[in-house]
Parts: sequence; C-alpha cells; structure tokens
Amino acid sequence: MNETRDLPLVNTADVPGAEGEGGGRPADPEHPKGRPNGSMETVEPAIAVKVRNLNLYYDEVQALKDIDLDIEEKQVTAFIGPSGCGKTTLLRCFNRMNDLIETCRIEGRIILEGRNIYDSGVDVAELRRYVGMVFQKPNPFPKSVYENVAYGLRIQGINKRRVLDEAVERALRGAALWDEVKDRLEESAFGLSGGQQQRLVIARAIAVQPSVILLDEPCSALDPISTLKVEELINELKKQYTIIIVTHNMQQAARVSDRTAFMYLGEMIEYGETDQVFTNPRVKQTEDYITGRYG
Amino acid sequence: MTSNLKQWVKSGSPWVWLNAGAVSACILLVVGLLLLITWRGMGHFWPAKVYQFTYQGEAGERVDLMGQIREREGVRAQRLRESGIEIDSDVELVERILLKTGNRDITGQDFSWILAPGILQETVPLSAVVIEREEWGTFFGFLLGLKKEGVLYSESDLWAEFHASLERASDLREQIDELEKDEIGSVNYRLERLRLRQRSLELDGEDDPAAMAEIQRQKEALEEEYLALEEDLASLNQAVRRDVVIVETASGQSVELPLHTVIDAWRPNDMGLGARIGHYFYKAWAFVSDDPREANTEGGIFPAIYGTVLMVLLMSVVVTPFGVVAGVYLKEYARQGFVTRTIRIAVNNLAGVPSIVYGVFGLGFFVYTLGGTIDQLFFEAALPSPTFGTGGLFWASLTLALLTLPVVIVSTEEGLARIPRAIREGSLALGATRWETLWRTVLPMASPGILTGLILAVARAAGEVAPLMLVGVVKLAPSLPLDGNYPFLHLERKFMHLGFHIYDVGFQSPNVEAARPLVYATALLLVLVILLLNIVAIHVRNNLREKYRGLET
Repeated sequence: MNETRDLPLVNTADVPGAEGEGGGRPADPEHPKGRPNGSMETVEPAIAVKVRNLNLYYDEVQALKDIDLDIEEKQVTAFIGPSGCGKTTLLRCFNRMNDLIETCRIEGRIILEGRNIYDSGVDVAELRRYVGMVFQKPNPFPKSVYENVAYGLRIQGINKRRVLDEAVERALRGAALWDEVKDRLEESAFGLSGGQQQRLVIARAIAVQPSVILLDEPCSALDPISTLKVEELINELKKQYTIIIVTHNMQQAARVSDRTAFMYLGEMIEYGETDQVFTNPRVKQTEDYITGRYG
Repeated sequence: MTSNLKQWVKSGSPWVWLNAGAVSACILLVVGLLLLITWRGMGHFWPAKVYQFTYQGEAGERVDLMGQIREREGVRAQRLRESGIEIDSDVELVERILLKTGNRDITGQDFSWILAPGILQETVPLSAVVIEREEWGTFFGFLLGLKKEGVLYSESDLWAEFHASLERASDLREQIDELEKDEIGSVNYRLERLRLRQRSLELDGEDDPAAMAEIQRQKEALEEEYLALEEDLASLNQAVRRDVVIVETASGQSVELPLHTVIDAWRPNDMGLGARIGHYFYKAWAFVSDDPREANTEGGIFPAIYGTVLMVLLMSVVVTPFGVVAGVYLKEYARQGFVTRTIRIAVNNLAGVPSIVYGVFGLGFFVYTLGGTIDQLFFEAALPSPTFGTGGLFWASLTLALLTLPVVIVSTEEGLARIPRAIREGSLALGATRWETLWRTVLPMASPGILTGLILAVARAAGEVAPLMLVGVVKLAPSLPLDGNYPFLHLERKFMHLGFHIYDVGFQSPNVEAARPLVYATALLLVLVILLLNIVAIHVRNNLREKYRGLET
C-alpha cells in the first residue's frame, strides 16, 4: 500500500517553494551537530524532517525558542528534558496538533518530504495520516479491537472487509499484539490491559501506514513489563518508520533511541548521538540534567 | 457535655443527618403522593357492596335508599344542631356517610349525604343490581323482568337471560360503532377530500367538464356506498332496540331501560372474591381502552393516552435533532467568547420561561402565522375553515419541542464536555477531520448524555398542560390523529391529552363528585405513561452507557 499512496506531501516535484530545501532527501550540508566523522562506514542517513527557526507562543509566552533540528529517517530520536521544557509541545508541532489550541501561534518551518507543513495549502488531515501519533495514556476508542485498528482506514473511505482484515492483521502483528488479541477482535478495546491498549493504539497508528510516528511518553502509564514490550516494539518499528519519542525516563531514552535531543526552557540545548549525549555531553546543562542535578 | 456536642458538630454528623433527613422527606412525599393517587384511582374499579338503607331524614320522613358507600366522616354534633338538626345532647360526634345512589334520571342527583343516627335499617341485598348506562350514570336497584320483542320474561333464570340479551345488544352496538366510525367515517372522509379536490380545481381554473364529470362519478359511487351503509346501520339500530329490561329502584319505582343504553350490569353483593377481582381488572382495562362518555365523566380515556403518547413522540422527533445540532455547534464549532456565553445564558433562561408564554407564542406564531400561511398556500380549497390555521397535534408538538429545547441543548453540551480530550486527539491524529471525529467518535460517546436530556424533556412535555390548551388540545376529539385513512397521520387534527383531561374532568365537569375517582385514575395513568416513556429511554441510555463504559475511568 505504501507504493500506491498518493499523498500530496510526497509529491515534491510540483510543489512550489520546495526547491529551497533541496527536496529533503540528500543529507543537509549544513548539518552541524557532532556526528563523529568516520566512526561509521555507512552513508549518512537521510533526513526525514527538518525543523528551521521554530518559535512557538502561547499568547505572549514563548514556549519554543529558535529550534533547529534534523530528524533522521528510520531512526529513533528522543527528546528529553525536565517538565515544562517544551518537548511535548515540539512533538505536537510535527503533526500540527497544536492547531487545536486557539491561543497557540507558530513561526518558522517544519519541512517534511520537501514541504513546509505550516504552508497554507497543506491538508492537515492528510498530514496526520502521514505523521502518526501515540499519546501518553492509552486512548482507545469505545469500539471493538478490530474497529479501533480499522478506524483510520475507514476514515479514508476503505470499507472492503477483505482489505480491512488484511490491514488490521498486519498492523496488529506490527505492534506485536496479534497473538494476544486475535481471538477477541470483536470485543471492546477497553477489555485489554493498559500495555495491550497502548500497543493497540500503536497498531492503530501504523495501520494507516504513516512514515513518521510520534510517541509522547508512551510508557509513562505502563508497568515495567509492558514498558519493556513497548520498547522492544519501538526497536522493531524503526526498521520501517521514523520515530520521535518524548520521554521522562532517561534510561529509556538511552535504551531505545539513536539520537537524543536535550531541551531546557524551550531551547534545544544539545542534540546528538545518544551514546555521545549520555556519556560525553558537550554542554554543562546536559551533564547536570543527566547526572540528576536538576529536573 | 458541651465538648461532646462540639465534637459532634465538628465531626459533621449533624450535616449528614440534615441531608439524609431532606432526602427522606422528599422520598416520603413522592411515595405518599403516588400511594394516594394509586389508592384513590385504583379503588374506583372495585365492585363495592351495595347497601340498602331505610333512612329517617331531617324532616322526619322515611326513605329507602340504595347505593355504595363512598366516604364516611365524623361531623361535630354542634355544627349539625346549629343547622337545625336534632341530635341528642350527649353526642359529640356524628358519623356522616356519602352514599353514591346513582339514578340521576329519577332523583336528579348521584350522591347523598346521610347521617348515621338516621339509619333505621341496613341490609346488603344479594340481588341488588348495578347497571352502567350510556347516559344518566349508574343505576342501583333490582331486576324485575325482561321484555323481549314486547313479550315479558320473568322466569327464575332471569339474570342469565338478561345477560344473554345484554351480550347480544353489546355485540350489535359494537357493530354499529364499527360501521359508524370506520366505514361511514371513511366514506365521509373520502367525500370531503373529493369536495376539496373539486374546489381546488375550480380555484385553479382547471375545472374542465371531463375532470368534473370524473369527480361527479366518484362522488356518486361514494354516495351509493354511503346509502348502502346507512341501510345496514338502520337495520342494526332496529335490532339493538329489540329488548327492554324492567328494573325497580329501592323506593319501589319501576323503570324500563332499553337494552341498547345498558353497557354492563353486575350484582356486587353476590360476587365471590375471584369474581370481584375479575370484574376489577375488566373495568380497569375498559377505562384504559374505551372512549369517554357523558362529557368525559364516564367511560375510558383511551384517546387521551393515545394523544399524549403520540404528541410526546412527535415532540422528541422534532426536539432531538434541533437540540443536538445546536448543542454541538455551541460546544464544538462556535468560537467561545462573549456571544456564546450570552447565547448560553439565554438558553438557560428559556428553560425558566412560564410554559403558558410558550403557548401564546405557539398560538401566535405557529398556528396563526405559519398555519395561516400554509392554509393559504396549500389548503385554499378548504377555506374559510382552517386546516393548519388552528391548533393541532403538529403545532402542539412544535410548541413543546420549543419548550424542551433548552434541556436538550444543555445536556448535549454537557455530554460533549465529558468526552476526554485524549479521545478527540486520538481520532484527529489518525487523520480524521473535526467532523469525522465528531460523527464517528464524539457523538456516539455523548449519546447517553443526550438521551438523559431527552428523558428530562419527555418528562416535562408529557406533564405540560397550560400551553397545550392554546395550541390544539380539546376536551373531546372526534377522531384519533392516527387512523386508517390516508395519509394516516393527521398532523392538523386536534387531540386529547391526559393532563388536560385531568383538568377538564376534575374542574370543568358538571358532576365533580362522580368524576373525582376518574381524576385520580387519570393522574395515575399519566404518571404511568411518563414512567413508561422514561423507562424505555433510560433502558436505551444504560445500554449505551455500558457500551462506552471505559470513559468514566
């Protein structure tokens, strides 16, 4: 299905204004942050999302300050930082969830597939199919397990039972939930455990085949075993999807992410390879936070 | 001691007691009211004993009275003495009995008060007969004989023979009813439609001879049909008048009652418990299923139940979409600010407007303005007699829909407010638009709340009387608003309503004392109808709530 998708976002060729960002595919030459050169044999991973000069205000309060960021394709990028530092706000910029807040005002650009998602012509619903999101607390709909997963597809007008069956199974397998729920697809999703619900929500998100998945503290409401399962799942998912995760838990960031961004008071303090950020932070503030001096 | 009291006050128990007391008082009031209505209303159908008294009245005259005891009360002797009645000086309290004596055609009254000391003799004659009649109320007396086709019959099995004749008469009467209401009614209805068509053709100037001839031909066919029915009716009417029953009052006056005026007859003193219970349910059912008689003071209340339920259903059909759409707009789409706040306050205040004001509005706007316009545009042929330009079922439903709209709007908004943000965001994050989110997820989840509003609306609408009196309720409607004549649902028709029926029977009828039990029975039925409508709605709501149960956690 991925091949047959016809998203306006993917069509970079006929989008005016896309030139400026060079189509988004080749690695950005300005790419500044410290990836140790030559430490890897492989080519530089492609950039999936670019954030440029992003400023965000709630009324007069500035919540994000001049954020510049490149998210690498098919990697896990983690945002860490103390509460209120703006990491969730930043995450919600990627699928324009902040649009729902009336007082919120955004300046700057987020370039996805060569196009600024804040351009006036962008279809937000279309964008959100392309950028899936999983929330802090599991939020299944009051429907059956099957209908929960099929929801996004039905929204797109897909109602053929056979197509849906296939997509639901694929999504549930993708979320490592199939074996647990295959016999109770028609039962209410509320009957699942918290961890299962969270994986169901992930299945729901990947059923519409996004290319980016945003995870907003996906394990904060889960017990350790469920957390472990979701973390394993994140490792699996990054083979196919670009993943951005917000987490409070620094061990988790260290375990699951390839790159880590540390934020503080709306500013991006440090961004780099997870190993480097955790073992050898370049900025004092990062070190203080990681070693538990504040936060 | 004081410290104990202080501690007791501090512990909060007095408040708990106070609250519990308030709740208990409310429950006691409600239960008491229901019990009173039930007792008074249900008691009416019980075949009470018939007493025969030899009574010495105030003036010293002796009379024979027969009837059922309706009420006993104590009266202070002093009061009676002052009104010139002789009572022994050592008596303080005198018992007074309200006797339902019936026989209004003979004595001119249904009830009489008698004083217990004046009773010289009291018997419960086994052969006392209670006869329910089409007119003049109940008859109490004894059976003397039966005149069949002019031949007197007074054998020992008179009672059985009388019942056989009565059954035959009531069968015939049923046939006559059917003929008059259904068949002749239908012919009349079609004739009227034909007349209207002719008139509208004339008005449009399309009355060419061919069309007119066609109408004339149909008219003649209908008139022929009518004549045939008329003939049947005449022969049935003749047959039903065949028998006459001869009865005697307690004072020995004999009366002839044509059987077609007799509805039912029974001998309450001769009934066992089983027979009494059977009779009781039979009468209760007749009350629910029959048409009213005698200016509503007798017979059943079926048309009123029918009208009430139909009106409430129509009102729900109108108010639900309007209220829900308005509530959704206010909550989901409108920019929250001064204007929406003002609208909300206005809506809340609308709920407090006296209902008669809605009635006046309904009369002025719906009936006269809208109805008048509709008549001019579509029912010109029927003018000057109004079709929609007068009160009717539709306008009454609309008026009540307006009255209950605030309740539905407010509860819809509340229902929507309860949906967690996470659910909306979950749906939006999957690429659903706001409308899709609303339609597929939010509205279904808010449906229990919306139904709660509808339940409140139904309860309020079913009990409302004042506005209805202006927009379509009548004391006696000639036909039901839903029947077998095309287009089946007659929105323009006037209808009867339980609430108005209570008012009419209880306070407007010429025979208030006789009608009082009916008022209680009707009130009980109104409560039951509302209860039934509510139970259905609550059941639906609970099912929905169960379905979306996960919300609460």
